Amino acid sequence: MTTTALSQPSALVESTEPVILNPWQLAWRRFRRHRMAVISLIVLVLIFAYIWLGGLVFARGTCVPIDKYVTGEAYANCNDLSIKLQPPSLAHPFGTDTIGRDILARTIYGGQISLSIGVFAAIVEVLIGVLVGAVAGYFGRWVDDLLMRITEAMLIIPSLFLLIVLGKALGGIVPEVEILGRALSGSVVVIILVIGFTSWMYLARIVRANVLSLKELDYISASRALGVSDARIIFKHLLPNTIAPIIVSATLSVSGAILTESYVSFLGLGVQTPTASWGNMLDSAVKYIQSAPWLWFFPGLLILLTVLCINFIGDGLRDALDPRSTRHV
Amino acid sequence: MKRNLSFLVSLIVLASLVLAACGGGAPATEAPPVVTEPPEATEPAATEPSTTEEPAATEPAASAGTAVITFVQQPTTLSPLYATQWFSTITTQFWLKTLWSFDPDNNPVPEIATEIPTVENGGLSEDGLTLTINLRDDVTWSDGEPVTANDFVFTYDMYMADSNTVASRYPYEDYFASVEAPDDHTLVITFSEPFAGWLPYTFAGGVLPEHVLRPVFEADGTLDNAEWNNAPTVGVGPFVFTEWEADSHMIFEANPNWINPPQLQQIFIRMADDAAQEVAILAGDTDIATFLDWSQADAINNSGVAQFVTQPSGYDEGWYLNFDPETAHPAMQDVNVRRAIVLATDREKIVQDLLGGLTEVAKTFWASTPPFEDPNLETYPYDPDEANRLLDEAGWVDSNGDGTRDKDGTELVLRYIANQRQLRKDVQAVVQQMWAQVGIGAELVNYGDDFFNGYADGGPQPTGQYDIAEYSNAGAYPDPEASFNWLCSEVVGPDNPEGGNWQGYCNEELDALFDQQATETDPEARTQLYYQIGKIMHDDVVWVGLWKDPDLWSVSTRLQNVRLSGATPFWNAQEWTVSE
Amino acid sequence: MLNYIIRRLAQAIPQLFLISIVLFMLMQAFGDPIASLGVRTPPRPADRERLRRQLGLDQPLYIQYLSWLIGNDWMKIDMDGDGVPETPGKRLGVLRGDFGNSLISKRPALELITERLPNTLLLMITVEVVIIIFSLMIGVYSAFKQYSFFDNFVTGLSFVGYSIPIPLIALLLMYFFSVNFKNWGLPYLPTVGMFDPQVGRTPGQIALHMILPVLSLSIISIAGYSRYVRSSMLEVLGLDYIRTARAKGLRERIVVMKHALRNATLPFVTLIGLDIPFLFAGAVVTESIFAWPGTGRLFVERTAQSDFPVLMGILMMIGVAVVIFQLITDITYSFLDPRIRIE
Repeated sequence: MTTTALSQPSALVESTEPVILNPWQLAWRRFRRHRMAVISLIVLVLIFAYIWLGGLVFARGTCVPIDKYVTGEAYANCNDLSIKLQPPSLAHPFGTDTIGRDILARTIYGGQISLSIGVFAAIVEVLIGVLVGAVAGYFGRWVDDLLMRITEAMLIIPSLFLLIVLGKALGGIVPEVEILGRALSGSVVVIILVIGFTSWMYLARIVRANVLSLKELDYISASRALGVSDARIIFKHLLPNTIAPIIVSATLSVSGAILTESYVSFLGLGVQTPTASWGNMLDSAVKYIQSAPWLWFFPGLLILLTVLCINFIGDGLRDALDPRSTRHV
Repeated sequence: MKRNLSFLVSLIVLASLVLAACGGGAPATEAPPVVTEPPEATEPAATEPSTTEEPAATEPAASAGTAVITFVQQPTTLSPLYATQWFSTITTQFWLKTLWSFDPDNNPVPEIATEIPTVENGGLSEDGLTLTINLRDDVTWSDGEPVTANDFVFTYDMYMADSNTVASRYPYEDYFASVEAPDDHTLVITFSEPFAGWLPYTFAGGVLPEHVLRPVFEADGTLDNAEWNNAPTVGVGPFVFTEWEADSHMIFEANPNWINPPQLQQIFIRMADDAAQEVAILAGDTDIATFLDWSQADAINNSGVAQFVTQPSGYDEGWYLNFDPETAHPAMQDVNVRRAIVLATDREKIVQDLLGGLTEVAKTFWASTPPFEDPNLETYPYDPDEANRLLDEAGWVDSNGDGTRDKDGTELVLRYIANQRQLRKDVQAVVQQMWAQVGIGAELVNYGDDFFNGYADGGPQPTGQYDIAEYSNAGAYPDPEASFNWLCSEVVGPDNPEGGNWQGYCNEELDALFDQQATETDPEARTQLYYQIGKIMHDDVVWVGLWKDPDLWSVSTRLQNVRLSGATPFWNAQEWTVSE
Repeated sequence: MLNYIIRRLAQAIPQLFLISIVLFMLMQAFGDPIASLGVRTPPRPADRERLRRQLGLDQPLYIQYLSWLIGNDWMKIDMDGDGVPETPGKRLGVLRGDFGNSLISKRPALELITERLPNTLLLMITVEVVIIIFSLMIGVYSAFKQYSFFDNFVTGLSFVGYSIPIPLIALLLMYFFSVNFKNWGLPYLPTVGMFDPQVGRTPGQIALHMILPVLSLSIISIAGYSRYVRSSMLEVLGLDYIRTARAKGLRERIVVMKHALRNATLPFVTLIGLDIPFLFAGAVVTESIFAWPGTGRLFVERTAQSDFPVLMGILMMIGVAVVIFQLITDITYSFLDPRIRIE
């Protein structure tokens, strides 16, 4: 719903350009015209910088209880009970949590998790959605029938319920895993897979519809007649021509996954501590709605800001890549 | 240009949110911390301005005589047969009194029984095998039918009926040989062996009205689906059940026919979640609330409308160590390493800084079950130097310079598990930092309750997926019985999947003491046995106490005469009054 | 038409079975329902063994599924633990309207669900009405005043609206309208439950308690839907017959209200129809935060306790609702728009 609502038909037509540009250059031109998308891109780059480089700047200081100067994640995990639940101050701009950890530093490392979940869940979703959609559309007949019936079956139960059930079923698997040199709760991997598995259905339908219309084109029929392998036709000819909706959809999936992560983590079924994510920072803060609003406010705000930017960028990408829904202001 | 405007709007919205939150947040924290104190005479005066300040507010002053209680968990059922959940069981003091209840000092208070049976008054036989209880003849069910000994016989039969999926048959299956009613007001219980815990356990859940439930049982063959389980309009207590709307509220009205007629007209229980509960307490919208966090103490005491109250109920927070050589970290087998783990943990600091100094370190499993902990027992202090020395001596040294000790290629990283409760997560993180200073690593894992408490086919404890598990547990409070956690015969394993000893700890000496205390009916001798048990478990570091874990309550200043007890919190509900 | 309905159902029923089997299997990997029975003290080992046997949880998975689906009155259960099944089963199975008993409270799952369903429906229908009214008003107005300050303002706001996580908006609303309003001495809104105990279950009370949950649920949807209405209005306004109507000199108001609005809202109404069952999902988080006594909260609560008869019941009821709503929407649509023919 949210994605379709953004597109709007246009009354005007692209003005013709004297210089011949390749499609990507054209797309970039159109993207640039979407100011909000451009500003969002900049803000998102800043958020990325905050998350991936902010640790170098903000996450350093003396950890009083162990009397040591620490940096990075060690600083984010440093707890000092003597300064627990302090409101925002110069030393701790976002305040401190229930055991005196610096919330700003924790939003940095929690952000890494939340954004990674967004990106990887979107990848899982795109892989499944594209594969199912392309195979169903290309092979048709009973393959199509079967895959589409399964897709519909998945759509019968709203995905948040599926997500809760799957997350709970796989939730028993919580050993730590090591990714990119960080020890993470296994729930991160579980949540990525679960979000991916429960959100690919709409993309599969879009891809299938595109493939259905493309495969009737002459050059595809010709390739088939020439004996080009099915896989080659799908990956070389069909998918590249349906890349625009895939990219748009994938972008919006990232924001969707970040939001979804916040819901399930909020319900206590998502990312498990000690690994922080923006979502579970919200969860642990609910008891302090009145006495310590900074606990939930800043992680919530970062989710909002990030999702907002990604949605604007997705909107811009749609304008840029999907000429049928180009809009002008 | 216009697109910029939209973006600007977004930014303004965000900015105003930031400002609002920061601005609004500060005042709440400026109030100075206050030490918990019993309600003083001056308190109500201080609260008056705030109560008069809610004119147009949604909640008009409570009608005289209603106490509002908040539950953060929905009771599952009210029937004593099926209720195991704490919120279900604590309501029984309103509507289903039993033989006796317990006051805050754990003294039994006769309710349906005329007096507490003892060997002296002939209630308990010398050999401890026969218990004779005299029932009052003036107690009636709320519908006017008399309460007789036959109701108790019926209750026993229902616990033991194969067609009832009752939650627990303890102690009826284990110790009761027969329950008989020689006449309407005499109940005779014969034990199969002397049963030390008879006082807290005999019909502790309550008694069933035979005249209501026998027809149901005869018709359905089971009480599982009896309407009475969820709408027990016939009860025996100062209040009568009148209404229960799922996830919303439960109402008990005064029962004027009860032997001690209640002062209040109504008990109103409201279901809410944690966040809503906090708001309700601070707004003075609830009179009693529980399942609180220690960190809420200051806010509640500063609110002027409520007091934070702690009441021991036998529970102590502690570490269960894994002794199974197959699954536990090899270092766990060494008693000196276990001692070092405790020495490296500043438990006093956790109690002072995380729990607001409102409780104290638990030395043994029976710290909150007086008198079963030896007051002279010295517990381990916080001594990281001694911990370092013990670890060095045991051969655990940091040979590869990664900050964690190791031995024969194995890093000293312990798997430290708990459930999802925020406080435990906090403690885990704090302890992880303390251990790191002596070179012990910690892998912190949290499970949902149904996994964490899971049995041998998947729970992390019986399958040994841990080195240290943290939770709060109690014996049969106020009875100390908890032996199945440590008996050799209860060690869980493929051949004993239902075993209750999930630690895999086996000590013949301890076994003998546990066996001895179970049938020791002399209180003083039994206490001495527990001193010995506590000493062994302390010296061998079998169970590590973190803190005494009392029930945490918030009681409003307008509700008077509330004397919460540990075993039966609402035992004196008939004496409660409200002051406006 | 009848053929269409039959064909659609023929597709949907196997899908419901497939979903039920998958969900049932997934729930086997949940925690132990008996372990969560005691919140503070788990039942003793001997009790657990007996309960598993009595409740049939020790049976093979396919037997458990069959008991759930078609009941177990055709087989015998070992209630007394002597290893010999002797008591005839009593369950009738979902197909005969028996969703089984809650493992936690022993009450029929269907009863637990249906006593909360009206509360959820009340919340959902109110939310729907609020969404329809506000998104139509905002959408039509923005389309009409395309690129005006208002239009851009709403565009910006709508992006914020559907980027905001439900927990955050719920906490913010609670923080402002309850906590701060009270601190500032203003009339404040209640946060918990459905009505105030001291006042009773009056319509006024329920309305008051509904404000915050309805706001937090509808703001997000209004944001999206108003953009949808706006774009379909713009599309219709560009069509020939509207131009003709305008050229004929009809008053703009009539053009908009009579011709454009009707055609533009058709897809919108269907969209809403399809979305109703999915609002249950939104209710899960909202009901949990505001302690609204509905099915969403029940679902979350029972998930933590692995009470799978209740969970399966809720999921299957939603599944059937989705199928039926899809069907109704399709049929309604074909009545409203003669160009679409159902085959």
